[in-house]
Amino acid sequence: MVDIFTLALTHGLMAFAAWRLIQRDELDEEGEAAPRSRWAKKRGPAPAPDADS
Amino acid sequence: MLKDLFLLGFIGLLLLLGLKRPFIWVLAYIYIDIVAPQKIGWGLIQSFQLSLITFVAAFAGWLLLDSKVGSRFTFRQALILVLLAWCGMTTLGAEFQDSAWAKWDWVWKALIFAAFLPLTLRTKLRIEAAVTFIVLAVGTIAINGGIKTVFGGGGYGELRLLADENSGMYEGSIISTVAIATIPLALWVARHTSIFPRHWTTWAFTAGLVFACLLIPVGTSARTGLICILVLFVLLLRSVRYRFLYAGAASLAMMAAVPFLPQEYVERMETIVGFRGDQSASTRLVVWQWTIDYAKEHPLGGGFDAYRANSFTYNTVVTTGEGAMRRVEYREVTETARAYHSSYFELLGEQGYFGLAVWLLLQGLGVWHMESLRRRFRRRDGDNRSWQWGLATALQQAHLVYLVGAVFVGIAYQPFLFMLVGLQCALWSYVQRVEGREWRAKLTGKPRPSPAMA
Repeated sequence: MVDIFTLALTHGLMAFAAWRLIQRDELDEEGEAAPRSRWAKKRGPAPAPDADS
Repeated sequence: MLKDLFLLGFIGLLLLLGLKRPFIWVLAYIYIDIVAPQKIGWGLIQSFQLSLITFVAAFAGWLLLDSKVGSRFTFRQALILVLLAWCGMTTLGAEFQDSAWAKWDWVWKALIFAAFLPLTLRTKLRIEAAVTFIVLAVGTIAINGGIKTVFGGGGYGELRLLADENSGMYEGSIISTVAIATIPLALWVARHTSIFPRHWTTWAFTAGLVFACLLIPVGTSARTGLICILVLFVLLLRSVRYRFLYAGAASLAMMAAVPFLPQEYVERMETIVGFRGDQSASTRLVVWQWTIDYAKEHPLGGGFDAYRANSFTYNTVVTTGEGAMRRVEYREVTETARAYHSSYFELLGEQGYFGLAVWLLLQGLGVWHMESLRRRFRRRDGDNRSWQWGLATALQQAHLVYLVGAVFVGIAYQPFLFMLVGLQCALWSYVQRVEGREWRAKLTGKPRPSPAMA
């Protein structure tokens, strides 16, 4: 029971981390324009709407 | 069986995610190297060469699919390769060929991976991801052991961890040292994470993890673990913001914890001071003396597991009875093939003076590099808030805790140690590259008027 709880907890967190990592470009390339973390973005101002749409 | 499927499913998921970003395969290897899921499962999972599959995937992924921009080869990585070559040579001439090759089988992988890891850790997020995976992988074993300790499953050599094994990360003294060394890394992740939300839940998990890590030495009754805790306590005094508050709170917590410690644990810890009466501790001193003599005869090292050549007879002090009936006797004990129980003597016996010197240089440079990074960022920012300062500090603390634990346990080639070394190389080379670039940009973009021109 304890084994299953621990495995589920830490493996769940690792799977979550891996899932979040593959969505971020700065994992592979880091430059001046590297996008910030999604959590950080949420707190920032919303991007301006596209003029063409 | 269910566990096997769960673990295989998890590894399959990591391999699948790696198709989008091959770096995930490096994380998968870190996970497998620490947790050793093939030891947790029962049947199915053991039929896969998990370590080999992920190692090949990680290496091929980097070689064929990954960009090499920013990959640097540092001096310490070269030192690792020198140590590897030297170990290969002493294995060829090893006194005990069978066990030497068995040890070589896992040591070369740990060393190659350490030299390779920094090449892949080119970005800040990758460094963070690697630290996060190390923390969670060690956490898998530590949280499990911590919970079992709370429910009273502990005792020296008795705490049943995730796997029915008493070797590698599942050996009591080794996991105690590693769990304590992981604490500063876990705290760094909680403070600087960009993968998990910076939320009270992250801190709650980290607090639980740190508590579990502290319980591992209690659960395994490993004396080394207690020494590691004390070392970490002192090291943290150097880096915490509110020193007096921390010292007071930590001392209070320690005093509050004593009544809850199991009797068996307290008795075993008391033998640290009066180590003469303890066979495990007194054989250590004899084995160390033997190793010094052995190295004089074999200055190039006797190869892996050279300790099997030893055999000695010595006296140990045994006290019987109580009060007036108390008797102290010297009892003669003969033992053969006593392990080194110290990483430093392990290297001296197995790799000779040269191997020991290379290993010491590798470790010493790591401590020094981290110290110089700490100074650099403290000077740059005027405070300790940057992630680089935090990581250099955490890696240094983890490393020092490990090196002190290593005095009493033969863990000179453990993959965990070499992951720390790999991370240090990565952080060092990342800072040289990125900070150097920023500094140059500052110079060319905004030239400062020099006093001579003004």
